[in-house]
Amino acid sequence: MPIASSLKVLIVDDQHSMRLLIRGGLQQLGFKDLEEASDGEDGLRKLVASPAHLVISDFNMPKLDGLGLLRAIRTHPPTSKTAYIMLTGQADKDLVQRAVQFGVNNYLVKPFTVATLKQKIEAVFGPLT
Amino acid sequence: MTTCFAAPAVRASPPGTESERRVHVVQGEFHVTGDPGVVLTTILGSCVAACLRDPLARVGGMNHFLLPGRGEEAGGDSVRYGVHAMELLVNGLLREGARRERLEAKLFGGARMLEGLTDIGTQNAEFAKYFLQRERIALTGGSLQGDRGRRVQFWPASGRARQMTIEQGEATVFAAERRAKAVPADVGSVELF
Repeated sequence: MPIASSLKVLIVDDQHSMRLLIRGGLQQLGFKDLEEASDGEDGLRKLVASPAHLVISDFNMPKLDGLGLLRAIRTHPPTSKTAYIMLTGQADKDLVQRAVQFGVNNYLVKPFTVATLKQKIEAVFGPLT
Repeated sequence: MTTCFAAPAVRASPPGTESERRVHVVQGEFHVTGDPGVVLTTILGSCVAACLRDPLARVGGMNHFLLPGRGEEAGGDSVRYGVHAMELLVNGLLREGARRERLEAKLFGGARMLEGLTDIGTQNAEFAKYFLQRERIALTGGSLQGDRGRRVQFWPASGRARQMTIEQGEATVFAAERRAKAVPADVGSVELF
């Protein structure tokens, strides 16, 4: 049973407002160790420099999108085991299926509630305390 | 009180052309185009329409949203829905060649339509301004709040906008805002996990 405050999370989204919302939701759930990145490239750079337990990333981003980031993470041995939850703007089954092929752990459809965020994280890590 | 920005941006009577194609944006939807022959229109009461545009790429778009419920506290479902509504428009513009750092906005709507009830219009207007500040998108014009509904037209390619206020009590505004309910947070999912 993982303790939320012991898990480091990297939030990747090109919208500042969305990063703030995710950060706020994670803090409500007890997460403390949070880092942000503004696109896939920035996210990959930060993850390589400072590993995280979980990446929560948008799909639609400039430079490197969410699928590109996921592929890069999975093919880079030091980061390949990092849990990855992808944010999508719609319930796009094709996109989610492609993400599953690349090894995504779960996904979140925007807009989402904190309860759903918790449910998706717990589906990956087990019940949070 | 009506809050107006950059008065010249809202013209009294811009010329229309016969070949113009009108696209009406209803509540909960957005439309993006670079077609100079298109004018985007909407009717607003307490809802807000954000008209965004990249002047260099000459592509623009309009959304029309109403935050669900009350409460403007950061992290609330209301804000989450609003951020999503704005993100759809921004992403639509980026897909059409716009650049985030060049985007500029005009905001309309957010009227207080009924005395005595929660001022939903102000909540919508304040959210829209908050979003633009957070995303560093320049607010170049528009008209927010007041107690009248508005008919808004926006020419995305040129950035020209105009509004006509609607007499209090006119049924058009209420009909337009009843047409679609605000979508709550958690809009759906596909089962794969």
